[in-house]
Amino acid sequence: MNTSLNIKTRRLLFSPTFVTLLLGIVAVLVLGGPSVQAQTTANDTVDSSVTIAVKGSVADPNGTVNVTGNVIISSRRVIDNTSTVTPALVLLDFDFSQLKGTSGSGKALKTYITGGNHADEIRPFQSADKVIVTIPYFDSSKDALSARTMLATATLNFDITTGKLTSASISVGNNVVTSAAVGSVTTAPIQ
Amino acid sequence: MPDRNFFLSPKASKARLREAERARNDRWDIIKAHSQGQVSRRDLIKMGLFTSAGLLLPISGLSPFARSAFASSNIPTGLPPSPLGTATAFSQAMPRFDIFPRIPVSALTPAPTAQANTTQQPVDPALGGGFGPIEGRPPGPIWAHQQFGLLPPAIAVDASVEGAKVNTTYNPGVPSNQNSGINPATPIPPKFHPNLPDQQVDKFWTYNGTIPPKLMQVRYGEPVLFRLHNRLSVLQSANGGFGIHTISTHEHNGHHGAENDGFTGAFFFPNQFYDYHYPIVLAGRNTINTTATDPLASGPTDAGGLNKVPGDWHETMSTHWFHDHMFSFTAQNVYKGIAGMFNIYSGLDRGAEDIIDGVNLRLPSGRASVSGKSWGNLDYDVNLMLADKAWDRDGQLAMDIFEFDGFLGDVMTVNLAYKPYFEVERRKYRFRILNASVSRFFKIALSDGSPMIQIANDGNLLPNPVVLTKLDEQGIAERYDIVIDFSRYSVNQTVWMVNLAEHQDGRRVSKDLSLSEALSGNSDDPCVGKFLEFRIVRDPAQPDISQVPATLIPNPDLSNIPVARERVFEFNSGANQTTNDPITTFFGPWGIKTDGGATLAADYGRISAAPKFGTREVWTLRNGGGGWDHPIHIHFEECQTLSRDGSASKVPAWERGRKDVWRLRPSGEVKITLQFRDFGGMFMEHCHNTMHEDNAMLLRWEIDGAGTPFLNPLPTPIAKPQGVTFMAPDDILPTAFY
Repeated sequence: MNTSLNIKTRRLLFSPTFVTLLLGIVAVLVLGGPSVQAQTTANDTVDSSVTIAVKGSVADPNGTVNVTGNVIISSRRVIDNTSTVTPALVLLDFDFSQLKGTSGSGKALKTYITGGNHADEIRPFQSADKVIVTIPYFDSSKDALSARTMLATATLNFDITTGKLTSASISVGNNVVTSAAVGSVTTAPIQ
Repeated sequence: MPDRNFFLSPKASKARLREAERARNDRWDIIKAHSQGQVSRRDLIKMGLFTSAGLLLPISGLSPFARSAFASSNIPTGLPPSPLGTATAFSQAMPRFDIFPRIPVSALTPAPTAQANTTQQPVDPALGGGFGPIEGRPPGPIWAHQQFGLLPPAIAVDASVEGAKVNTTYNPGVPSNQNSGINPATPIPPKFHPNLPDQQVDKFWTYNGTIPPKLMQVRYGEPVLFRLHNRLSVLQSANGGFGIHTISTHEHNGHHGAENDGFTGAFFFPNQFYDYHYPIVLAGRNTINTTATDPLASGPTDAGGLNKVPGDWHETMSTHWFHDHMFSFTAQNVYKGIAGMFNIYSGLDRGAEDIIDGVNLRLPSGRASVSGKSWGNLDYDVNLMLADKAWDRDGQLAMDIFEFDGFLGDVMTVNLAYKPYFEVERRKYRFRILNASVSRFFKIALSDGSPMIQIANDGNLLPNPVVLTKLDEQGIAERYDIVIDFSRYSVNQTVWMVNLAEHQDGRRVSKDLSLSEALSGNSDDPCVGKFLEFRIVRDPAQPDISQVPATLIPNPDLSNIPVARERVFEFNSGANQTTNDPITTFFGPWGIKTDGGATLAADYGRISAAPKFGTREVWTLRNGGGGWDHPIHIHFEECQTLSRDGSASKVPAWERGRKDVWRLRPSGEVKITLQFRDFGGMFMEHCHNTMHEDNAMLLRWEIDGAGTPFLNPLPTPIAKPQGVTFMAPDDILPTAFY
């Protein structure tokens, strides 16, 4: 094989710009440019979780759906010990599988489930955070294609020293996506 | 304002934008010299541009993360934003994929052969001259197509990789009204938007040299011969400054012999072809349902029936993709456009929603009775290839390979079109979503938070569908198949697909945003927010009879298969290189620690693991770092996820089927199990953040414990235009073999 074609060739055919750049860089190095050395060290992870009893209601085409149940929030705080610039992060898992809803009564009673839903989120680690997630729910006698969406707003508090999730609250309500870009949008129900 | 941000805002001062442009141009010279073979990474280290770990030094005027001369000390130089000119979001139709024609094998000249065709041809002087084989596949029995006589190709696809050109043969496989009104007879120039410039022939390389990206439609029981011609320039300098003209295509994640797997060292040169033999078989074909009596293990026939095949129907696969896998240049070549998708049809996943036979799951696709096609209907089955791109000030595709944490583009494309729209009917659609980025993760939701049903992960239908209002993060190369029911909307309504995953650099997602945050336009990440617009344009002409059954494909039962061996792979920075072969080794900041050994940079001449043919193993994939994520891909056979971070309950519902890519998550760990059967040879395991893969988080493992013509260990192919030679492995880890 022609050595000039070898992807690992050591032959140098610099453009004038490249040589100029190189000279400039060597000068910077001589003058003491900063350096970065990747290294692997142990990582600092802290796991914690809280279970919250949730109560709320959602206005649904079938009437008000009262939502109750426990939500388990699992947290893993991770510190990257290989970098001084990367902020600590927290990996969150919201287990909504125990949430249930009901509407109507008697023969009109309907029960709603979330389909074992979880939401996984990655967030910067800070003492307090507000996480807004959407949750599907659907009539337990039907399939998930009939699902609609409710909104959960979670307020989380962390111990900065230990990295643990110490407390949380969750409110559940109608899914209304609000932003300056789109205004307010509600989830379209299955027609 | 974050302290690291990859792209400058278009509102940044002119001075800062000029500074960033200068820095990019400075890097561009190095990238060009490196990609054109004028300088190696080793040279760059000697010159003091890189640290010994392979990191670009944060030098002002060079690194995007060096201090800016025009801003406060902790705000980096950044990259200049890609110019969009008059191109606006959601002003062009999203093209459906362009289907590769299926041709008779007899139409191929020369006819395919089990062993590589070593007929000699003159080699261009630019490639060293002399003579060399017409086929670039390594010669001889070791790289012969396994079971070629038993599974002879029934159809062929004759394709090429070449520079950008106008597409005059577009075949979307659907009528124009299912393709947002695109007239397939209108030539399609190679551009990301009608108001952006044509991509130059050396900047943009794709299958057949054209867009839209290509789709291969195959079915179980019909082996395919994929003949791929390398029609790139013989001049490596004709690469537009990045990419390399030697190629190798990986069918991700085919169950076939290693000679067809796009092994990173089995690359071939311009003016050569490579015959890939895709047998399209169910795993376990030699031990399960060997007489092909189970109708669930089948492919569709043209007449609407079933072609029963050997193997385990629980191993049925659906959504694959294929892409370049050139050693240490995968990121550049895939980013340049060498990627397509690969739909596999089966008795279960037929692509014909109106065939009712007790086997067909009748997922959204289209009606055989309307199209006349008994399988592979695409009317309501849509491939989406997501990729972030960037272009230079001339609107040409641009890349920056020297941010080894990962490369991010600042412009979202779907099917290589800048933020398009797609017209839909009020009914269910299946979307096969591929993350074809270099380093970017996505997290997808609909703009109104409506539910979606995830039905498949990495090409494997899940045991049960999962209802979600936003998908999990989707790592590079992961495929999520979802069903969206647009019947919840009215005609003339619009809804968007939204990316919620915000990056500050290529290491990992920095933050998952709420819908409101992502839609606000306040994110510093230009690829957050709306990227695909759905326009609900009409009611369907026929009632929607497609289904999403509560049970799709249960996992294979492995309980009676003993675990022969456990292995641990840890993915780290700070890798060492213990070998020095100029062809097979590379080095960089990334590497893999195997079974407690040293963290090693890639060497495809090194055997890191050698499972025994016919066995099952358990592998632990561990992220050694807390500051980054790695989407780890294991070639060959689909795996089951046993646990995350030591707990089976932490495996989410959408990962409880089979998979071939796992996001390890920062400091995370995944335990999987896999089998080694039916075929053998050398395969790979690597990070699919292809910047990590190329620098040099990749290892070789092989199956060579049984059968013929397997050797123990296999020799390493050394590709040259004048012919592939072999050499003994230059390293075998002490824990590799039994």
